[in-house]
Amino acid sequence: MMNKILSQKFLLIGIILAALVPLIFDNRFYLNIFILILLFATVANAWNVLGGYGGQLSLGHAIFFGLGAYTSSLLFLKSGLSPWLGLLAAVLVSIIAGIVIGFPTFRLKGPYFTLATIAFGEVIRHIALFWRSLTNGSMGVNIPFEPSFTNMIFKEYETYYWLALILFLISLSFMYWVDRTKVGYYLRAIREDQDSAQTLGINTTKYKMIAMILSAGLAGAAGVLYGQYMLYFEPENIFNLNLSIEFVLIVIVGGIGTIYGPLLGAAIVIPLNEILRSSFPMLNGMNFFIYGIVLILIVAFLPNGLLPFLKDLLKGKLLNRKRVKSKIVED
Amino acid sequence: MLLTQTIISGLMIGGIYALISMGLNLILGVVRIINFAHGEYLMIAMYASFLLYSTLGLDPYSSAIIVIILLFLIGLATQKLVIEPILDTPASTKIFVTLGLSIALQNLALMLFNANHRTVHTAYQSKLINIGGITMSLPNIVAFISAIVIAIALYFFLQKTMVGKAIRAVAMQRDAAYLVGINVKRIYILAFGIGTALVGLAGSMLMPIYSVYPTIGTTFVLIAFVVVVLGGMGSMFGAFYGGLFIGVVEALSGLLISPGLKEAIYFIIFILVLLVRPAGIFSRGKGSEEVGLE
Repeated sequence: MMNKILSQKFLLIGIILAALVPLIFDNRFYLNIFILILLFATVANAWNVLGGYGGQLSLGHAIFFGLGAYTSSLLFLKSGLSPWLGLLAAVLVSIIAGIVIGFPTFRLKGPYFTLATIAFGEVIRHIALFWRSLTNGSMGVNIPFEPSFTNMIFKEYETYYWLALILFLISLSFMYWVDRTKVGYYLRAIREDQDSAQTLGINTTKYKMIAMILSAGLAGAAGVLYGQYMLYFEPENIFNLNLSIEFVLIVIVGGIGTIYGPLLGAAIVIPLNEILRSSFPMLNGMNFFIYGIVLILIVAFLPNGLLPFLKDLLKGKLLNRKRVKSKIVED
Repeated sequence: MLLTQTIISGLMIGGIYALISMGLNLILGVVRIINFAHGEYLMIAMYASFLLYSTLGLDPYSSAIIVIILLFLIGLATQKLVIEPILDTPASTKIFVTLGLSIALQNLALMLFNANHRTVHTAYQSKLINIGGITMSLPNIVAFISAIVIAIALYFFLQKTMVGKAIRAVAMQRDAAYLVGINVKRIYILAFGIGTALVGLAGSMLMPIYSVYPTIGTTFVLIAFVVVVLGGMGSMFGAFYGGLFIGVVEALSGLLISPGLKEAIYFIIFILVLLVRPAGIFSRGKGSEEVGLE
C-alpha cells in the first residue's frame, strides 16, 4: 500500500517535471530530441503491448505509424479536414490495418509471424510508392507550413512537446492498464506458452487481437503527430523496415515487457542517434552501425533490457546498505 | 513471344534467387537459425567483387573463386563468433542478434563506401545472345548456368560424400548425429560457411548485372525468405525451384500488371503461402518446428 502511494507520488512528480521541460530547455536542438523521445516511446509502448507482453514479435509497426501519418495528412491536404478529426480517422485506419494483419497471421508462431509482418510492411511500402495519385509516390507528402490550431501546426516547439507528452501519457496509462489487469496476465501467459494458455481456456486469438488493436491505434496516433511535426515524409522513410526495427530496438534496450522500459530505451537510443548524427555528419550510417552492435550486445548479455538490470543494481545496493546498517545496529 | 521471352528472363534471374535461397535454407535447415543478415553477405560479396575489379582489374567472373573463398571464411567466422554463443537461446534472441548483425554490416558498408551505386564495366556486360528469337543477356545466361551447376554439385555433395551425409544427418536428427560421433558444432560451422559461399558465388554473378549499394542485401534477403517459405524450410530442392518460380512470377507480374508492383505481388504470394501452407509448398521442411512451427 505504502509502496503504491509512493510510486503514485513519484509518477505525479515525474509528470510535472516532464511538463516543465520546455521551460528549462528553451533550445530547439534539445526540444527536438525530447519530442522525438516521447513520440518514439509512445510507439515503443505500443509495440511493447503486442511484442513485449504478448510475445508477438512484429517487425511491421512502421505500417501503423506510417498509415497514421498518411491518413490524417492526406485527409487534410485533399479535403481540408482538420488533423484533429484526421487523428480519429488515422487511429481507425491503423486499427483496421491491425485487424486485417492480425486476423490471418496470429496463427503463425515465432519467426513466421515476424516474417509475415515484414512482408506486410513491404507490400504497404510498395503500394504507397506505386499509388502516386493518392500518396504522391516517392515524392512524399509535403504539408505546407501554415501554423494554426485547426491545422495542428505550430510555430513553437513547446506545443508539439506538450502534445507528444499527452500522447505518451495516454499510452502509458494503457500500459498500466495492460500490466495490471487480466489482459496483461493472459498476454504474458500466451507469450510464455501459447498452447498451455489455450488449454487453460484463454481465448488466445481474442487477447492477441486486443493487444494488436491497442498497439496499432497508439502507433497510428503517434504517426499523426510525427507527420504534423515533420511536415514531410515519404514511403521510403516512414514505411521502412529500419523504422520498425528502431521501435523494437528501443523496447529491447529499455526492457521488454516492462512499463517504463520503452521510455528508458527511447531516452537512450534517440539522443544517441541525434548526437552521433550531429557529431559525425560525414560518417553516414554511423548511428545505425552502433544500433546494430548495441542490439546484439543487449540481446546477448542483457536479454531483459536495461531497466530490470538497473533495478537489480539499485536493489542490490539498497540491500547492501541495509545489511551494513543492521550490522552497525548489532554492534 | 513476349510471354516466352519474359518467362525465360524470369528463369534466368530466378537462378540467382535460387543460389541465395539455397544458402539461406542450408543454414536454416542445419543450424536452425533464420539468418536475417544473409542479404548482407551478398552485399559483402558484391563489394569484394567490385573492389577486386577496381583495384586489381579482375573481372567478376575471374575473381569469383576469391570471393567465394572469402565469403566461406566470413561464414565460418560468423558461426563461430556470433551464432555459436547464442545457439541455446530462445528464437527471439536469435532473430534480434542476426537482425543486429544485418543492421551493423549494412551501415558499416554505408560508412565505408557511402550510398553511391558502384558498377563494374566489362566487355561482355551488354552482350545479347539470340536463340530462336529469344534474346538473353550474356551475364544472365552465365548466372543461370552457374546456378544449375552449383545446385547439382551441392546435391551430389550432400548425397554422396561423407561430409555431406554428416550435414544431412545433423539436419535430420541433431542428437542422434551427435551420438554416432559427428562433431555437430563443426558441421554447423561448415554449413554456415557453405551457405555464405553460395552467396559469394551469387554476388560475383550479380555484379555484371546489378550495381552494388549498402542496402542491396535487404531486397535479396526478403526474396530469399519468400523462396524458402515457398519451397519449404530446409529443403534444397524447394529452394531451387522456389527461386526459379519467384523469378518467373516477378517477371510476369512486371509484364502483366505493372513493374512498380512486382515486389508487392511476390510478397502477397509470400503472405498467402505462409497462411495456407506455412511449412512450404514443395515439402514439409525438416526443423521448421524448431524455428517456431510444427
